[in-house]
Amino acid sequence: MRAVLEALRGALAATLAYLWSGWGAIASVLLFCALWEFGGRVYGELVLPGPVASFQRLAELFASGVATPELVISARRTLYGLGMALAVGSALGLLAGRSLTAAMVSRPLVTLLLGMPPIAWLVLAMLWFGMGDATPVFTVFVACFPIVFAGAMQGARTLDNALKDVARAYRLPGHMLLTDVYLPHVASYLFPAWITALGMSWKVVVMAELLTTVDGVGAALAVSRAQLDTATTLAWIAAVLGLLLAVEYLLLEPVKRRVERWRPEAGR
Amino acid sequence: MNALHIRHLYHRYGLKEVLADVGLDLHAGETLALVGPSGCGKSTLLHVVAGLLTPSEALIQSDFRGIGCMFQEPRLMPWKRALDNIALGLKALGVPRKARRRRAMDLGLRMGLAEEDLAKYPHELSGGMQSRVSLARALAVLPDLLLLDEPFSALDIGLKMELYGLLREQVLRRGTAVLMITHDLMEAVRLADRILMMVPDPGRLAREFTLPLPQEERSDLWVYQTTAELLQAEEVRIGFGLTKGVLSVAQGEHARHAGCSV
Repeated sequence: MRAVLEALRGALAATLAYLWSGWGAIASVLLFCALWEFGGRVYGELVLPGPVASFQRLAELFASGVATPELVISARRTLYGLGMALAVGSALGLLAGRSLTAAMVSRPLVTLLLGMPPIAWLVLAMLWFGMGDATPVFTVFVACFPIVFAGAMQGARTLDNALKDVARAYRLPGHMLLTDVYLPHVASYLFPAWITALGMSWKVVVMAELLTTVDGVGAALAVSRAQLDTATTLAWIAAVLGLLLAVEYLLLEPVKRRVERWRPEAGR
Repeated sequence: MNALHIRHLYHRYGLKEVLADVGLDLHAGETLALVGPSGCGKSTLLHVVAGLLTPSEALIQSDFRGIGCMFQEPRLMPWKRALDNIALGLKALGVPRKARRRRAMDLGLRMGLAEEDLAKYPHELSGGMQSRVSLARALAVLPDLLLLDEPFSALDIGLKMELYGLLREQVLRRGTAVLMITHDLMEAVRLADRILMMVPDPGRLAREFTLPLPQEERSDLWVYQTTAELLQAEEVRIGFGLTKGVLSVAQGEHARHAGCSV
């Protein structure tokens, strides 16, 4: 009972401390909004509507029921592509990192994949998959995969040999090798890669939708561009960025802190 | 009685021969110290016994089942609390969580760690505490063979004595066989029943010394005197580079077991 209470108290304290640390981030975002407002005043409503106007438009979009379905569609495509990239990239990266040969073979391939512009993949995907859902999903997958793969491989390669020896000396079975030795170490390489991949996935999905589909945030942006409606464009951008921030700071970052609580504090 | 027998052990890294015709016997309840200068293949030999390295050629017969290892550095998993580090080997053996944590807690307390230290991560512990955790981890699996690779070399004298005591208690209580590497002749004299002197290029056994006096009767004075006498032995002087000379160590089985008692 005491242990449970203590664990609860610890979790509560950590959550509050985390939320409190959010003030810095909020201040930084507000500073950015101030700059945005300043730009808006200088260039006028048509070129750069200020944050107030943009968020008002966003609220109208939500109120009229236009925004939610489009965001859900885009989020679904992102989730599919990103989810596949995270799963496949992490698993293959870990495997590749365990073998010197595999790492040597995959290194240049990763560089190749990372260097390939997503727009080129998009053209290929349009040719292969047509104008459906598969095109943005595939493009997201192929853009995020090398990032995650490289992170996982780097993590697996940098595991200290001394610890591997300990694992072998104490006859750790295969699944424990993964959960007790590799994953905790690799996590500190995986999380930054996942966060980068998350940002990449939204960029790519919006781009893909703009060019290929009739629904989703990208398609809505294409419409607002055609109507020269800068406020709506900015509203959509704000919606996407808001989602991105929410996923990173409400989901990935707390998980990362939880997983990496063994690290010395100075690193934070 | 459990025993480890090694004959004609050769090992090469690439073309370089690091171990040549090494043979040794180790019986339950016995402590064997490997001494020798750096690079004489002591660690390689220990890695072979631990199963971390497959030798190029060897005849090895071992009845020991549970092996506990303690390395030069504590080598704790940085992402595990001290308690879970101690329980690592038990987890690998499939001991249920509750039981292994209880056993780790008992052992940790016996090693002189406080309950709150056991809840800490390794980076929050001092070097001495990390060594205690490392020893506890090795003892947790109730090993019948304990392999120690200079585990005490970085510790202060007080801590060393304390860990020696814990180790000796384990040997007496459970009849554990111990194979330890050390540069420190005095440590070897204090703890070992037999001392094997190794020399490099290629790594081989130069001489065996038997210390017949039971451990509990070894006084500090006796340890100092015996260490001084050992240092007079020709193989030791040449092996550690104290005297120039060449060792004729092409001894076979016969010479190796003709160790004198000091």
